[in-house]
Amino acid sequence: MQNNSAVKTRILFAGTGGQGVLTAASILTETLVEMGLDVVSSQLHGMAQRGGSVQAAVLVNCGLSSALKNGDADVVLGLEPAETARALNSMSSKSVVFMNSTPILPFVLGQEYIHKKGDGKYPEVSDLIKDVKSKTSKVSVIDATELAEKAGEKKALNMVFLGCLLGSGLLPCNMDEFWGIISEKMPPKFKEINTKAFISGVEIGKQQVVG
Amino acid sequence: MGASTKSIKLLEKKGSKASLLGNNAIVRGGLEAGVQFFSCYPGTPSSEVADTTAKISREMGIEFEYSVNEKIAVEIAYAASLAGARSMCSMKHLGLMSAGDPVSTMPYVGVEAGMVIVSAGDPSCLTSPNEQDQRHLNKFLYYPIFDPATADDALQMTKYAFEFSEKTRLPVIMRPTTRVCHSTGMVEMGDLPSEKKEVGFTKNPQKYVPIPVNARRMRVELTQRMKLAEELLGESNFFPRSGSGKKGIIASGVAYTYAHQVIDDLNLWDSVCLQQIGAYPIPEKIIDSFCTQVDDILVVEELTPFVEEWVSLYLFKNKIQKDVFGKLSNHFPWEFESSPELAEKGIRAFLNLEEMEEVEEAPQTELPARPPVLCPGCPHRTSFHMVNKVFGKKTVYCNDIGCYTLGYGEPLNACDMLLCMGSSISQASGISRVTKKRTVAYIGDSTFFHSGLPALANAVQANDNITVVILDNYITAMTGFQPSLTSSNNPDIEVKAELAHFSIEDAVKGVGVKKVHLVDPFNETEILTALKDVKNSEGVNVVICNSPCVIHKNRITKEKREAYQIDQELCTECSLCVRQLGCPAILVVDGVYTIDEELCDGCDLCARGCHTDAISIISKSGEACAKQ
Repeated sequence: MQNNSAVKTRILFAGTGGQGVLTAASILTETLVEMGLDVVSSQLHGMAQRGGSVQAAVLVNCGLSSALKNGDADVVLGLEPAETARALNSMSSKSVVFMNSTPILPFVLGQEYIHKKGDGKYPEVSDLIKDVKSKTSKVSVIDATELAEKAGEKKALNMVFLGCLLGSGLLPCNMDEFWGIISEKMPPKFKEINTKAFISGVEIGKQQVVG
Repeated sequence: MGASTKSIKLLEKKGSKASLLGNNAIVRGGLEAGVQFFSCYPGTPSSEVADTTAKISREMGIEFEYSVNEKIAVEIAYAASLAGARSMCSMKHLGLMSAGDPVSTMPYVGVEAGMVIVSAGDPSCLTSPNEQDQRHLNKFLYYPIFDPATADDALQMTKYAFEFSEKTRLPVIMRPTTRVCHSTGMVEMGDLPSEKKEVGFTKNPQKYVPIPVNARRMRVELTQRMKLAEELLGESNFFPRSGSGKKGIIASGVAYTYAHQVIDDLNLWDSVCLQQIGAYPIPEKIIDSFCTQVDDILVVEELTPFVEEWVSLYLFKNKIQKDVFGKLSNHFPWEFESSPELAEKGIRAFLNLEEMEEVEEAPQTELPARPPVLCPGCPHRTSFHMVNKVFGKKTVYCNDIGCYTLGYGEPLNACDMLLCMGSSISQASGISRVTKKRTVAYIGDSTFFHSGLPALANAVQANDNITVVILDNYITAMTGFQPSLTSSNNPDIEVKAELAHFSIEDAVKGVGVKKVHLVDPFNETEILTALKDVKNSEGVNVVICNSPCVIHKNRITKEKREAYQIDQELCTECSLCVRQLGCPAILVVDGVYTIDEELCDGCDLCARGCHTDAISIISKSGEACAKQ
């Protein structure tokens, strides 16, 4: 019924539609399954094609349920600052959080501004960081968007975060084997960019372990 | 990014352990049962069942179609079953309602080859106008219903359902809910069959024609077949029980996984006994043996207290004194999805455990909302904006089911009422007939053929003063770009000649509409002229706005139009563009109006409306070009 021999790890991705949250979650799930781990995953997203809030949970060795309980996330990969703060109720003092500092501005702010419903401003990123830090001290704030651009493509953002996750050592698996499986399936033209982005994330993940 | 790891194991001949999305597990179950016919109408959260099948149908020799509506999908799959082909069809919960007429008589007549209807439920109305508990169709229309909790359940139940359907001659409903559909889980795949069954229809009118004399005989047989269904389910694997305690917990659907998790987390396996209900009718012997094992019972389920009432009735009938708790005892709410937290709260109360620790809410900065919105460059935005210009604020706008529902609210205000697929035209008829005012209906291509066409004929018959604006974007966009009847007209898709030029115009004229305009919504003169003409005419008239879904177009052509930018020196911050269009590419940052270059699709709607000509294309050299 219960399998205590395997390490349970619960990962939550949070971001907006178009950032590659669901792709990253599905790559992670498939790769871990290929490595022989028991994985369940779930997606939470609304109707929007693009720009809406998106969350995906990947639960390793956690049994039947694909739902992430409040406060149960071991790792939160926050691809967008406000969306990371939106995932606050999934965090506890034990959660390790990697949080992007580059916002995606919601267009409704403009609507609020002209209709004078609120100040029409995106919250201060420093306030969002403070909120997340009030839950857990293990927070790495990174300009992941810049790292992805440096790797050669903004869309490699999700690879930076997969790098953070693997670098942190919180997953019960071998990093080289993990990246080997993923990169083998990648279209060659993206391989270099994705690998660069992944490695830049790994470096950050490693610091989190030491820190 | 573009890393394709779509190693879908669905087609592996040999069985093995794999991880599948719930919806794909249903497809694999069908493949293992040798399904030969598949029809569907897309609808979240069921869509992947159909879309995955569409991709593999040729290779697997499955006759597949996206039907025009669910009623047709069910009827055609049912006939295939009568001709001996194992058949499947998929839709969302509301789709099954739309197919209510054939669905209600099929159990009477019965099936030949197994037939499984996948009807995915949407508790919490995540992508639907209502939530409903299709399990009541078990008692209401005599359907056996499978209620999977996990992806593996979904696979095993679907596979079993075909054989079961043949033995009972009953069509079967597979009812996953959103969390099952859109979660992945570990599954045990069996082998795929190596041979296809022979197919052929044997005439027997007494058996297949439910005229009253036959229907009454069928009705009696139906009771017997439902009894057989209960017996067979009693021998199935879909009612597992675990734990050795005296506190009984019965759970169904995804709520079973929550109960299971809570019992794991709180180490309760010695004090509770957990019984899963995986199908209906619930075999009496399952409830019987469970009740002898436990002192009292908590039922954990989503939506209505369906199992709870069933168990209560059983205890009452058999004069067994045991307490049953659940929704009727306020251990759980009736509305919306279950959750691990709700399950834990109820289970703690049932076991007299300490209440859950309230999670301390950290002081939180107010977060901006990210509501669903029409995409940048969407032709519907242009159509709504132009109709607003001509018909104004006082006209009543009846909207329909599709992306265009997003015309709701500020600033487009294109949706004063909405009900169901195809309702826009009938609602416009009703409004105009009593208010005596011209009323506008908005409907998309797929929804128009789904159920708008009969409503249009009805309006013509009554000579209603309505204007129907058909938003033809050549695709069923909102559910994931499934083809619609007009997809063959999409200038960006190469299609077989025999499919080409399916015409809404001809269909509309065919039911008697005299005034029909075919326009490009981005051609301002054309669309405004057409709208002014229909506004000042009598009777039913139609404006067909033809323009491809921009997201779909960009995916096919792998290019997008050049983005626009706002010249800050020319911009007077009049706010007109934001106030009228609601385009997510136009941002206002610290009072400065800008266009997100990445999001902008270059539709030029904002540029055309700008009074100071501040909006223009970003030229390749980075300088603004004069607008056309």
